[in-house]
Amino acid sequence: MEFLRNIYNWIDVRLGTHEIITEKRTGYLLPRNVNAWYSLGSVLLVIFCLQIITGMLLMLYYVPDIDKAFDSVSFIMTEIPLGRLVRLFHAVGSSMMLLVLLLHMFSILFMGSYKSPRELHWLTGFFLLLLAMGISLTGYLLPWNQLSFWATTVATDCASSIPFIGENLVELLRGGKQVGLHTLGRFYTLHVGLLPALIAVLIGVHLFLIQRTGVSTPPFGLEDTSNQWKGESFVYEEHPGGIPFFPNFFLQDMISISLYLACFMVFVFFFPNIFIPSTSYVPANPLVTPSHIKPEWYFLANYQTLKLFPSEIIGLTVQAIAMAFLALLPFIDRGEEKHPLKRPLFTFCAVSGILLWIGMTVWGLYS
Amino acid sequence: MDDSKRKFINICLGGVAALAATAIAAVTYPLFRYYLVPPTDKKSGGKTSIPLNEIALGDAKFFEFNGVAAVLVRKQDGTLAALSAVCPHLGCIVQWEKDRQDFLCPCHAGYFTADGAVISGPPPRALAKIPYSLANGVVTIG
Repeated sequence: MEFLRNIYNWIDVRLGTHEIITEKRTGYLLPRNVNAWYSLGSVLLVIFCLQIITGMLLMLYYVPDIDKAFDSVSFIMTEIPLGRLVRLFHAVGSSMMLLVLLLHMFSILFMGSYKSPRELHWLTGFFLLLLAMGISLTGYLLPWNQLSFWATTVATDCASSIPFIGENLVELLRGGKQVGLHTLGRFYTLHVGLLPALIAVLIGVHLFLIQRTGVSTPPFGLEDTSNQWKGESFVYEEHPGGIPFFPNFFLQDMISISLYLACFMVFVFFFPNIFIPSTSYVPANPLVTPSHIKPEWYFLANYQTLKLFPSEIIGLTVQAIAMAFLALLPFIDRGEEKHPLKRPLFTFCAVSGILLWIGMTVWGLYS
Repeated sequence: MDDSKRKFINICLGGVAALAATAIAAVTYPLFRYYLVPPTDKKSGGKTSIPLNEIALGDAKFFEFNGVAAVLVRKQDGTLAALSAVCPHLGCIVQWEKDRQDFLCPCHAGYFTADGAVISGPPPRALAKIPYSLANGVVTIG
């Protein structure tokens, strides 16, 4: 212990780590009515780290070549000790990451935490959601099975309906007319290089913004639930008399992370086939599209919307408008009220939107 | 700092920024081209030959033509049709339904006739026709 204390002191006198812990952790006060939903950000950080670790372990044996990719994944699953577990951790983890991201987004939505001055927090979070969907889509192709091949074909083909540049854009994405060797190379580069780097940078920006403005106050349990920031000047939102981040909220973070890991393990050990269906065990065949091909669950609503509209461009335009509305929500909703029950029109629209998305997802699954 | 020094430094900084922008622009286009055109996919105008006796009456044969999936149909009346097998809706490969003598796209249930015309479903247009010729029992496509 003495040795460890000496190391700590050695670092402390050089970097002032004790001051960081005192000021930024124990002295970092959160609103007294802070709730468990605020810990989802920490859960997401843990998931991202797990995805990086399992992804690097998979890279040890994965071969990004159309003749070897499927076999290399099979090799990892069947021959490498704990390989099946690592692959399941990564595959199930990507779905869980999106699920928790959506929950995080919904909680921000209902607590009105996206309102000024936190428009940039929302925007960076929204782009993180898009990047997470992108990294999931690019990773989905890598096992080179029937499901991944055709889900990628359908997803990339959507771009072809964009007027004038559609066909060129599809070739740019695929690196050819059809999904093939160059698509695998491009998606692999995006999946293991560019997208994780962009996500890491954006997480950094997101955390910086939160540190800079202070944590928002949830609207529950308060008399005045209006937005306190009037837009006159920069104000750090302090919470005098609030609860310290460490150890109080750190404990909440640990509880949420443990609960998440428990749910995650249930899927990994008991229901892995939800995320890896039977078509995932058949190597990709560019000449045969399997029946009832379905994209991953987080794209099912988009897939069903495309089916509903007679014209692909209308289906895409509707989705683009919905996404743009969501991204620009803090600039559209300028109302001061944050409590969901005190802004019934917003709550009705938000609940309807979420139910519509869930409905389209379920419809897409069973159609 | 007097105004002339400030002005001089601003001009220098502007020059450096312009140089940096030019350098970025100079490498962007070659990088874009590197990304854009994979040389191995530039084979077009090729021909594919299929012996007619490889396809029974009322059956179809799928093959790769210029990098994309294609199909040759030998209809019940003996006539032929060479078509792109790529559904114009979302790019899935159509399946030949021998009993119904039509094509089905398994992704969104689009149906096409043996000549590629849309029967029902979301496909916005017919399957693209591919020119072919028949000589000495061999169909040459392209």
